[in-house]
Amino acid sequence: MTKQEISEKFKNKFGSELEVIETEQPEPYLYISESKYHHLCEFAKNDPDLDFDYLFNLAGAHYPEERFEIILCLSSHEKRHNAVIKVKLNIENPETETVSDVWGAANWFEREAIELYGIKFKNHPDPRLLLLVEDWDHGYPMRKGWTGPDFIPMPES
Amino acid sequence: MGVIEKVPAYIERIPGGGIVTTTMDWVLNQSRACSLWYMLFGLACCAIEMMAAGASRYDFDRFGMMFRASPRQSDLMFVAGTVTHKMAKRVKILYEQMAEPRYVLAMGGCACNGGPFYYDSYSVLKGIDKVIPVDVYVPGCPPRPESLMEGCLKLQQKIKKEKMSDWASDRRQA
Repeated sequence: MTKQEISEKFKNKFGSELEVIETEQPEPYLYISESKYHHLCEFAKNDPDLDFDYLFNLAGAHYPEERFEIILCLSSHEKRHNAVIKVKLNIENPETETVSDVWGAANWFEREAIELYGIKFKNHPDPRLLLLVEDWDHGYPMRKGWTGPDFIPMPES
Repeated sequence: MGVIEKVPAYIERIPGGGIVTTTMDWVLNQSRACSLWYMLFGLACCAIEMMAAGASRYDFDRFGMMFRASPRQSDLMFVAGTVTHKMAKRVKILYEQMAEPRYVLAMGGCACNGGPFYYDSYSVLKGIDKVIPVDVYVPGCPPRPESLMEGCLKLQQKIKKEKMSDWASDRRQA
């Protein structure tokens, strides 16, 4: 399916909750509201035309003073098309549902987002630390403006 | 005393065999330096150069250095590669499992002081000598096998200057 057709299909199903971002990339970029996030993921996986069965990236993003974001990169093995879904989260208390029951790969990606950004996922089956030391208590390193005890920033000149 | 220090080994040929007159220090140091068994501890890209140095073109076996996979059977540890905070605990556990006399060679920029990850990194330990005592530093990213070999030869020279009481007392760092 082409970029237009995928965007049309999502728009017909979700209407006002969805927003299409105009880019020059070959795959559609969509914003979805946080309440319909899990619903959209199930629809994207189970629909026979879209058939997004491969989640190859789930990342967090931090825009200081504005919002957090979660970015999903989806792909389909049979149909050979991709899509990028973004969710805007609250800056004060970023919290959303887990999608590890839809795609199993989301488990470790979400663990990384939990420990590096501080985004909480409800009903996550295993919210342990993934990359950081077991007794880490120095905050969330990937937020903008983070400093820690062993952190030496690059000098200006 | 002066004769013994200047002439490390005095070989006398008598019919039926040879006799070597030397000091215990010399014998122990020679035997430790000329058969250093190293532990394969490659963490990152420097491991490839370590493997290349142990392979056939730049051979380590001609110095008597054989690789062992376990710290219990080795007396030299190459720390080859970037060490993160999570790995530093495990490096310390493995270092304490080695039997004395034991030596550590920090290979590559990352093990010496953090290397290219010195700035702007939240998870890299800036140098392995914050956790274990290091004898020889070999800089480079990655160091060529010849550099690594020179590091080993310097370590052999350092071993040959040791005294027997260094390991018995606590004068040398544990």
